[in-house]
Amino acid sequence: MLIRFFAGAAEAAGTEEMEFDAAGHTLETLQTALGADNERLAKVMAASSWLADGQRTSSGPLDGVAQLDVLPPFAGG
Amino acid sequence: MKLIAAVVDTDVDRDALYAEVDDDRAGAVVSFSGVVRNHDGGKAVTGIQYVGHPSAEDVMKRTIAEFADREGVHAIAAQHRVGDLDIGGVALYVAVAASHRGQAFRCAADIVDRVKEVLPIWKKQYLADGGHEWSQCP
Repeated sequence: MLIRFFAGAAEAAGTEEMEFDAAGHTLETLQTALGADNERLAKVMAASSWLADGQRTSSGPLDGVAQLDVLPPFAGG
Repeated sequence: MKLIAAVVDTDVDRDALYAEVDDDRAGAVVSFSGVVRNHDGGKAVTGIQYVGHPSAEDVMKRTIAEFADREGVHAIAAQHRVGDLDIGGVALYVAVAASHRGQAFRCAADIVDRVKEVLPIWKKQYLADGGHEWSQCP
């Protein structure tokens, strides 16, 4: 699965994209895994919304998801 | 009903958008400009970089379309800028033409609120001390 980090999430992650083996993972366990050694990213992820293959998601299994977008709180206008 | 909605990476042409909502049925045209200010949260700001998700323009079009059946509203033009803006630069522009002023004011205000709520765009504020911060991001 390709994870795409945007804006402040990319800055916190130190990358805009990364490959992640999502087998057996849920959105919750993914956040625990990615946030384990990155407290700042953990905070940003906790405030973020998510797109799994373009569809809004907020929890649950990630099996079969090809692309997961991490969207921090919007700040347009 | 004329609807214009876009996310653009060049300067918003306010005069052109204002002209686009011209309509003989309209008794009021309300326009709003969201501009880059030189301060935020007590800190001096020198500029802003706006970054959009690839879906931002589609979301913008869907969002503006939500207002197409507002009573009395005849035309809407709205654009959000992405990229680097200096102080005074126009980040968001909305123009609404309606039969009566209350309809135009309310629709424009509601559009701005809705755009800020749902549009996947982020802003990186450059601070006078050389640092930067992502607005709304923990």
